[in-house]
Amino acid sequence: MPPQITRLVLLTIAIICAYFTARYLLTPQSFGQYGHYRGAALQEIAGREPFWAGRKTCDTCHGEIVQKLAKAEHKGLSCETCHGPAKAHVDNPEVKLPKPGYGQCVRCHEASPSRPAWIHQVTPAKHYTGQVCTECHVPHQPNEVP
Amino acid sequence: MSENVTRRNVLKNLAGIVGGILALPAARTCQAAVRNVFATAQAPKGYDPFKHKWLMALDVDRCIGCGFCVEACKAENSVPQDNFRTWIERYVVTRPKPGSGESRGDTFVDSPDGGIGGFKPSLIPKEDVLKSFFVPKLCNQCENSPCSQVCPVGATFESPDGVVLVDKNYCIGCGFCIQACPYGCRFLNPETHTADKCTLCYHRITRGLRPACVEICPSQARIFGDLKNPIADDPLQRFIENNKTQGLKAHLGTKPRVRYANLDEEVR
Repeated sequence: MPPQITRLVLLTIAIICAYFTARYLLTPQSFGQYGHYRGAALQEIAGREPFWAGRKTCDTCHGEIVQKLAKAEHKGLSCETCHGPAKAHVDNPEVKLPKPGYGQCVRCHEASPSRPAWIHQVTPAKHYTGQVCTECHVPHQPNEVP
Repeated sequence: MSENVTRRNVLKNLAGIVGGILALPAARTCQAAVRNVFATAQAPKGYDPFKHKWLMALDVDRCIGCGFCVEACKAENSVPQDNFRTWIERYVVTRPKPGSGESRGDTFVDSPDGGIGGFKPSLIPKEDVLKSFFVPKLCNQCENSPCSQVCPVGATFESPDGVVLVDKNYCIGCGFCIQACPYGCRFLNPETHTADKCTLCYHRITRGLRPACVEICPSQARIFGDLKNPIADDPLQRFIENNKTQGLKAHLGTKPRVRYANLDEEVR
C-alpha cells in the first residue's frame, strides 16, 4: 500500500476514534435511559422536597378530626386549605398553626356572580358584620350549630 | 508542522488513542463518582416512570375562584412573583343587545394576579352579565407537545409517566418553547434563567402525594389520578365516566392530556 494511503487510513481511524471518545465522555450517563433526554433529570426534578404536608399526613395524628370532617359538608377540604402549611408543625408539634378565621371563610363563601350556584354564598355586609363566622357555624361540621 | 508527521509521532498518537479507549471504564467510574458528589437530593427509590400515567382533570362547574390553588402552587414550587405555573381566569359573558338576535354579547376574560387572594367583584355591572365562570389553567401536558419539538437542545421532554418536564441543566433559556406553547403555560424563570412550567408537582406525585393545587383545592375542581393504577373509587375514573370531557385547543393537534369538563365555547 502506498504510504500516503496508509497515512490517510490511519488519520481517518484516528478522527473516528476521537469522535466516539468525545461523544462517550460528553454524553451524560443517563442520556437515553427513557428517551432522547437525560434520564437523571427525572430524578433531579423528583428530588425536591414537598412543601404541603397533605391531608394524609394530618390524619396520622389528628385522625379523629379528619374522620369527623369526612362526614360533613366540608369533607373535600384539605386541612391545609384553611390551616395553612403544616410542615413546621409536622417537624415540631410544639409549633402551632395560626387559627383560621373570617378571611378563610369569605374566600370561598362571599357571593359572586361568577361562582357556581352549588356553593353557599353570602354577602358579608348583609349576612353578619361581626366577622366571627364561628359564632354560628362550626367549620368542621358546617351543618351543626355550636 | 510537516516535520511532526513522522512515523514515530503517528504511532505515538495512535498508541495514545488506543490507551485512551482502554482507560474509558476507569474514566466512567471517575465521572460517576464526581457526579455522585454533586448530585442533589435523590428521587424516591423504586419509582418506575413506566408504571404510571398521571392525569389532571378540571371541572369548570366546581371552580369557585378562591385562588388557593395558585397560592399553593407558588409556595410549593417557589414560583417567582410575576410568573404562574397555574392560574385562574374569570370569564364574563355579557347579555346581547336587545333585538340583536345574538345568543350572547361580548366575552371579557381577566385574571388579576393569577387569582391570588381571590377575585374582586367584576367591573361589569351584575345586570349586564349573561353568565360568568372561573377556569383554572395549567400546562396541558400535551402528548404531541410543541414545546419539546422546538427545543434546540433537547431540554424539554415528555416523560414516560405523562408529564412534560424541563431539564434545567440542559436548558439554555432561549425562550423558543415559551413562544411555541399555544396555552401560554411557560415562562422564563428570572432566577434560574431557564424555562419553567407546571411539573404536575413531580416531586410530590412520585412520593404518592397529590399535586399542591389538587391538595389545596377546596371544591374538588381539580381531579388527579394515575391511569395505570386506579385506586378504589378513583376520583379521576369517576370524573371521566360522569362527564363529557375535552382538551383545550384540540384543533392544534397538540393532543392536550389535561381534561376539562363543562367548558364554554369561549374558553381557549
